[in-house]
Parts: sequence; C-alpha cells; structure tokens
Amino acid sequence: MSFVPDFFGQALNGLSYGVLLFLLSVGLTLIFGMLDVVNLAHGSFYMLGAYAGLAMIAVTGNYWLAMLVAPLAVGGIGALLERACLRPLYGRSPLDQVLLTFGFIYLFEDLVKWIWGGRIRSIPPPEAFSGSVQFLGATVPSYRLFVIVFGLVMAVALWLLIERTRLGAIIRAGVFDAEMTAGVGVNIDLVFTGVFAFGAALGGLSGVIAGPIQSASPPMGAGILIPALIVVVVGGLGSLKGSLVGSLIIGQAETFGKAWLPGASMVIIYVVMALVVLLRPQGLFGRALK
Amino acid sequence: MDQLTRRRFLQTASVAAAGAGVGPWVLRAQAQSGPVKIGVVLPYTGVYAVLGESITQAMELVFARENWTVAGRKIEMIKEDDEMKPPVGIRKTEKLIDSDKVDILTGPVHSGILMGMRDKVHNSKTILIVSNAGADAISRERCSKWIFRTSFSNWQPCQPMGGWVAKNVSKEVFQIAPNYQAGKDMMAAFRETFLPAGGKLIAEDYPKLGETDYAPYITKIKQSGAKAVFAFFSGTDAVNFVKQFDQFGLKQTVKLTGAGFLTEPDVLPAQGKSALGVLTGHFYTPVLDNPVNKQFVKDFKARYNNKTPDGFAVQGYDTAEVILRALKAVNGNTQDKDKLVDAIAKVEFDSPRGRFRFDPKTHNVIQPFIYVREVREVPEFGLTNVPIDKVADVRDPGTGCTLPA
Amino acid sequence: MIVRLLGVSALVAAAAVFPAVAGAYPVKLLQEILIWGVFAMSLDLLLGYAGMVSFGHSAFFGIGGYVAALALKQSPHLLSALVLPALAAALAALVIGFFSIRVSGVYFIMLTLAFSQMFYAYAFQVAWLGAEDGIIGVPRPRLLGLDLASATVFHLYLVALIGLAALVLWRVVRSPFGHVLRGIQENEGRMEAVGYPVNRYKLLAFVIAGIVAGVAGSLYTQFVGSITPDAFFWTTSGEALLMVIIGGTGTLWGAVLGAAAFILLQSLVSSYTERWMLILGLTFVLFVLFAPGGIVGALSGRVGRRA
Repeated sequence: MSFVPDFFGQALNGLSYGVLLFLLSVGLTLIFGMLDVVNLAHGSFYMLGAYAGLAMIAVTGNYWLAMLVAPLAVGGIGALLERACLRPLYGRSPLDQVLLTFGFIYLFEDLVKWIWGGRIRSIPPPEAFSGSVQFLGATVPSYRLFVIVFGLVMAVALWLLIERTRLGAIIRAGVFDAEMTAGVGVNIDLVFTGVFAFGAALGGLSGVIAGPIQSASPPMGAGILIPALIVVVVGGLGSLKGSLVGSLIIGQAETFGKAWLPGASMVIIYVVMALVVLLRPQGLFGRALK
Repeated sequence: MDQLTRRRFLQTASVAAAGAGVGPWVLRAQAQSGPVKIGVVLPYTGVYAVLGESITQAMELVFARENWTVAGRKIEMIKEDDEMKPPVGIRKTEKLIDSDKVDILTGPVHSGILMGMRDKVHNSKTILIVSNAGADAISRERCSKWIFRTSFSNWQPCQPMGGWVAKNVSKEVFQIAPNYQAGKDMMAAFRETFLPAGGKLIAEDYPKLGETDYAPYITKIKQSGAKAVFAFFSGTDAVNFVKQFDQFGLKQTVKLTGAGFLTEPDVLPAQGKSALGVLTGHFYTPVLDNPVNKQFVKDFKARYNNKTPDGFAVQGYDTAEVILRALKAVNGNTQDKDKLVDAIAKVEFDSPRGRFRFDPKTHNVIQPFIYVREVREVPEFGLTNVPIDKVADVRDPGTGCTLPA
Repeated sequence: MIVRLLGVSALVAAAAVFPAVAGAYPVKLLQEILIWGVFAMSLDLLLGYAGMVSFGHSAFFGIGGYVAALALKQSPHLLSALVLPALAAALAALVIGFFSIRVSGVYFIMLTLAFSQMFYAYAFQVAWLGAEDGIIGVPRPRLLGLDLASATVFHLYLVALIGLAALVLWRVVRSPFGHVLRGIQENEGRMEAVGYPVNRYKLLAFVIAGIVAGVAGSLYTQFVGSITPDAFFWTTSGEALLMVIIGGTGTLWGAVLGAAAFILLQSLVSSYTERWMLILGLTFVLFVLFAPGGIVGALSGRVGRRA
C-alpha cells in the first residue's frame, strides 16, 4: 500500500462524483435563484432525462445523440410545467410550490413506470469510453474522466453564458429584481419560462450523463432530490459558483468519508451541510441574508 | 361468462360492504362456502416493485392452472401495495386480517415489515407464508407456529459459500454489504464456513443502503490486495456495484462472489456484460435441468411476454403450490386453523428448485440445494446464472426457535 | 364559541363511539388518522402560526416512538408511555431548535432535515435500537388498572389523549403567546423592534411542537406495537408537511382533515389500483391549482360564496 496513489485515486473518485453532483444541482440552483422556486421535482427531470436517453439509444443506438436530444425533451416538459402549473403560483405561499412539485414527483414516477415498467435499467457507456485507464498509479474508468472534463467545460460555458452574454445579463437582472427588469421592456414571462426549461434540461442532461455510471429506475428521482438540495444549500442558493464549489466539496467529503470513516457514510453529507449552515448561513457563495 | 363476471362483482361488492362496516353477517355466511381468500402484501411501487411483480405473476400462474379453484372453492387473491414502508405494510396487513378476513396471508419483501407484522399475525392466529423477506429471526427466536417461509433465511444462500470460496476461489477475501442487519447477517453466515476452511478476512466494509457511487470502496478493495470479494447487494445497489466494479477494471484481478441477489434476473440485464464471471450462491437459476423447472420456465415465458422467471418467481410458485396442496389436504376447510397449519407443515412436492419441504423445527424451507452459479452468456437464455456446483439440504440452524410449540 | 365547543365535543364523542358501529379496519384507520392528525397539527403550529417550515419534524415523532418502545419494554406504565417520550422529545427539540432557529427559510428547512436524517442514520445502524428492523413486540401500557391491550379501552385512551393534545395546541394558538407567534410570522423584524425576544418565542414554539410530535410518535408505537427507523426518515416529515398543506395551514383542524385525506387516499385508492401514485400526484397538483388554502380553504370558500 502506498499512500500517495491511494490518496490520489480517492481524490479523483471524489472529483468525478462531485462533478456529477454539480451537473445534477446546477439546474436546481438556477431555478431557485431566478424564480425563487424550490423545485422538488428536479429529481424527476433527472429521471426523465435518463429515460429519454434510454429511449433514444434504443432507437438510434447512439449515446451522443441521446445526450443531445434527452435534455431538449426534458426542457420541453419543463417549459410546459412552468407555463401551465407554476405560473399561477407566483406570489402565492411557497408551500403551494412545495405541494405542486411534490405532486409531480409522484406523477412523473408513475407515468414512467407505466410507460417503461419498473425494471432497473442502465445506459451503457459510449464505446469510446468503455474501458479504464491507469493514471499516476490510480485506476480510473475512462468514462469518469470524460464526465470530469465535460462537467468542468459545462461549468465554464454556463459561467460565460451568465456573466458574459446579453441573455445572461437579463437573467442576472431578473434574479436581482424581476419587476424592475420587466419595467425596462424585457419579456420577463418568457425569461422565466426559458430559465425553468433550461434548468429542467440541465436536470435531464445529468440523468443521461449519470446513466452509464449508475442505474435508472422510476424512483431514482426521489432518491437524488436530497443530495441535490444539500449541494445547493451548501453552495448558496442561486449561485452558479456555489453550486460548483459545493458539489466538489460534498464530493470529496463523501468520498473520503466512505474511505476513512466507513461507519459514518450515512451522515457525512448532513454533517457537512449542518456545519456550513450554522457557520455561514447563506451558504459558501450565497448573498448575505437580510 | 356473464354469470362469472356477475358473481365476481357480487363478491367484491359484499367484501366492500363488509369493509365499510355494514354487517359482519355477510362475511360469516360467506366464510363456509365462499372463496378462499389469499391476502398478498408486497411492494408494487418503488425500487422493489419488480420483486413483488415476479412473486405475484408466479402465484397467478399456478392458480390459473387450477382455474382459480381448490377443493371446490374459488381462490381469491387480494393484493396490497406495502410500498416497502413498514407503517404502510402494517396498515395493509391489518386491513387484510381485520377487514377482508383473509384465510392465508403471504408476503412481504421487506424484513422490517415482516418483523412488524409478526406479532399481529401470531396473536390473531393468522397463517402467514413468507414469500421473500429473509430476516433470520423469523426462523429463530421470533419463529411462530403460524408463520412459514417458502423463500429463504438470509443465512441460507451465504453460509455454504464461505467454505466453497475458500476452497475454490481464494482464501483472501474482502467482504462488502449494505450497512444494515441483513447485510451483516449474511456476511457473518459466510464467515461461519469461510474461516474454519482456512480463509482470511482481509477487510470488510458497509456502504449505506441506496449508495450510488461505490468508487471509494472499489478503490479500497483494490488497495487491500484481496484476491476475492464476497458481496451482498440487491436492486439498484447490485446494479451500481457490479457495473462500477467492472468499470474500474477490477474484474481481471479480483474475483467477485456474493449472495445470489447480486446477479438475479431483476438486475442482470441492467448489469449487462459487467456481470460476466460473477459467482453467487442461490437456491435457483432458470437453467436448472429438471422437468418441473423446464415446464415452469416454459409456462412463465408463455404467459408473461417471454419474461424469464427468477428466484422471486419460484418463491411465488412455491407459495401458491403450498397453499393449493395444503387446502386440498384439508378439503378446503379453512376454519380449523390447527389442521391447516399441520397440513402446510407436511406439504412436500417437486418445485423448480428441487424437492420442496419445510423444516418442522422452524417452518422455514429446507433449500434442496444452494447452487454456486457463474454468470455466463448462454444461447437460449442470454446472460444467466449457470450452476457450476451445489451444496445439498441447507437448513437454517433455527437457534432459539422452539417449534412445535 | 359555544356552538364551536359543542361541535368539537360532538366530534370527539363520535370518534369515541366509532368502534360500536364500524368494523375493526375502519377503526384502525380512524386511529391512524388521529395519530397522524395530531402529529400534523403539531407541525402546523410551526408552519401555520410561527412561519417555520420544518422538514425535520420526524425527529420528534421518532424519538417519542423509540423512547416509548424502550421504556414500555422495561415497564408498561404511563410514565413509559407518555412522560418519558414527551421529555425526550422536549430535550431534543430544545437542542435542535437552539441551532435551527438561528437561520430561516430554506436554510431552516434543510437544517431541520439534516438533524432528523442524523437520527435516522443512527437508528438504522445501531444494534441496541434494533437497526433497520427497529424495536418490535412493544407491550401496551397499563393505566389506572385498565389494560390497554383491550381494543375498546385503547381506542378511548387514544381519543382522549389526542383530544387533550388538540386542546393544548388550540389553547396555545389562542393565547397571547400564539398571537406573538402570528406576529412573528407576519413580520419578524417588527416584532423584534417592538422588543419581543423573537428567538425565545420561536424556540418555545419549537419545543411545544416537538413535545406533541413526540407524544404522537409514542402513541404510534403503542398503536402498532413496534417502531422502525422509517419513523425518522425525511419522508415522514414530508408526508406530515403534505397533510398540513392539503388540509390548510394555520387552522390546526385542517391538519387533521389533511391527515384523513392523505391516509384515506393512500390506503383506499391503492387497494383498487396500482396507479395510486398517479392519482395521488394528480390530486396534489389539482388541489394547488384549484383549491388554494387546502381543504379548509375550499370549505370556507364555499360557505363564503353561499353567504
């Protein structure tokens, strides 16, 4: 046993897990930041993405096509949901949003089970990334390396989109003050729908990306909800940077916790969150509370 | 046809009426000549819905073969979804016992639900035939005259594997299972024969139930230098573990062995080629070469859209067979419960898994064989568990159980 | 006032004599609705009066349930059935509340969730609490010479205790203390500025709610005869939250109606169709869209329109 490659191997594991958490949670944090909606059905988007991906692969046999089409499909569902159901709730008690999105968890889970059955499925990794590679003494599945690179590229792309484009400027303005933004002639309704659909599409994308590492089954959406919420809270609600840093921290904490404190594997994530919330209530990169 | 539908409707209507508390008289009149009611408490939603489905399908296959009739009485199955949640499972159990007044109860999948049901069943003298949950305690200190088990105790598929792995695979083993009692029990059962055979436990690890990323554990296995792994996982955990174990390239250097659930047909298709070569111990595999099994596989596939039956289906099959044979033996009389219990205890028949009989000491099934199975690709079945060795007559030690009492 | 009192007494009396006219299973359902109803009411005290959305209320339900299970196995008396579970829940609520009330909104939700999940993980793993199988074979207490193993006696005991708990909660929200809580919900900053020790009020509300939830948990253990770690799991909190919202927040009795709706939907619909999740989900969605304010809102809305 040698300490350095062991440590390095686990750090890589933590990184790939963290990046996956980032992809999963970034849509949730965007929706929260912009719309002030705690979307409990975000896990359902993740699940719908995985199943849409499975359906695409069944038809075309092409993973990359699935990665492209599944998020679009889920984004469409998100847009519909926002227009038809969420829109009437803006300005009402946030508890109504909780009940609505909770209802959709049940709805989507049963619909998917109805269409595809309850059997556990999985997405095979794309041919190019089906093996594993030796990397400084550690073994890493090449697909995980792909996930790490892809996730980090996505993070940069999202940052550029939000910080460096006109669309991003509108979104940022909307987060800051929706009414004022509407006042300067921006169609804020369309922006809201767009952001929700985009967040949903990101959730769907994470489902396709996670497919080759994990499995897909109708209840997977409910299972992933809590970790995603935790990442968002640790990072700071609505903060892109926070969601990335939060994911990476949780990824490392969980991985090294599993490796070194096996008895505590069920609670690590909660302990990390409780510490962050108590020491820095607004999350690592959240706006300070009023 | 019309008449049958009408009768069905009337039965349902009277059950509903009794359930609504309209009158116990309806029920009493019905109990003598009415249908035999089989209450089924299984998960039909959630991760383990596929298990509930397999068990139910095989039961229905057997009952349909008998035209839903036994000893001149109709058979009626009342299915309830326990959602794998103890409070719900217990509520449904009470409904079936108190409101539907079922003659025989079967299920559940979840050991926690079984333990919660146990006293209710025992005190109300309801006959329960456990069709999955493997909690060892039900064959040991918590056994009951009224409770039988056609599936397995957690101990059964694991204990024979210990000696076998030490002798045929490696004496240096890493153990891994979900962090709960059933997982720890199975690991302990394995060690019962592994350590005396000269085996050395390199390390053990207990990830949380429902873990999605096993990478840290797999890295630890690699670093430990163990030559083999003995694992118990089921459902999505089994899929994630086996896939990730393969993706890390460990399969070439470390032999993966485990309890049968690790590669049962509910998870095998999702594991795909990652599962090739995995060795597991279980009481059944669909490729078993005996006439009853061949017929069973053929009928099951014909009825259920070419689906290959799994061990869970056999548990359902045997549960239904036990019910049929016991009811025939008592001429359909479900009033004399002591007689019915005796009849169930005496049932013996050729099951797809071999000669089926209960252990009179524990009311738990004596596994005719625990097969050591290897996942291979076979022409007729695709990816499947092929038996390569077997251990006969595996019966739970039943420590602390004092049946008949 | 008198009309309302009469109405409530009539309801309690109806619940008490229900076993005389109904079968065993409807009685069990009613008992379960009452237990969950009082649990949901205690959450409503936080949710609907103090504006604290707790997602970790299961912690107190579970603690009450586990302490009762452990104590009743030692000695089946009133002390074990009620006093110890209530004290344990109070202590836990004091500690969890002390930390949690420092934050608000989503952070409060997540912090309370974290605490309850820690209890879940602990109960799920340790042998002395029976790990995932929980504690089984819990006897019912003996009370003033009455053996609660008898179904009738147990039912009356349950109805009496739950009536008492509801009365306590009702007194609390009607008291000056309750008015301060409402004030905090409306505008915390203003209450602080006026000089109310807001955090102390919130903590007290949290502890009262915790105690009632602990008693509900204890009653649940006595009802089933066992307790499992699922009592601590976040879905237990989530379901209670749904019950309160469906029933209508800030009304107390709405929580009981919500519990009834939730349990009846879940147990009756699922007996008839495998598609019960779809129906439940659809019900929630339609409720939010067309019946804001929950069942109570819908009922009072109709009354209002008629007037």
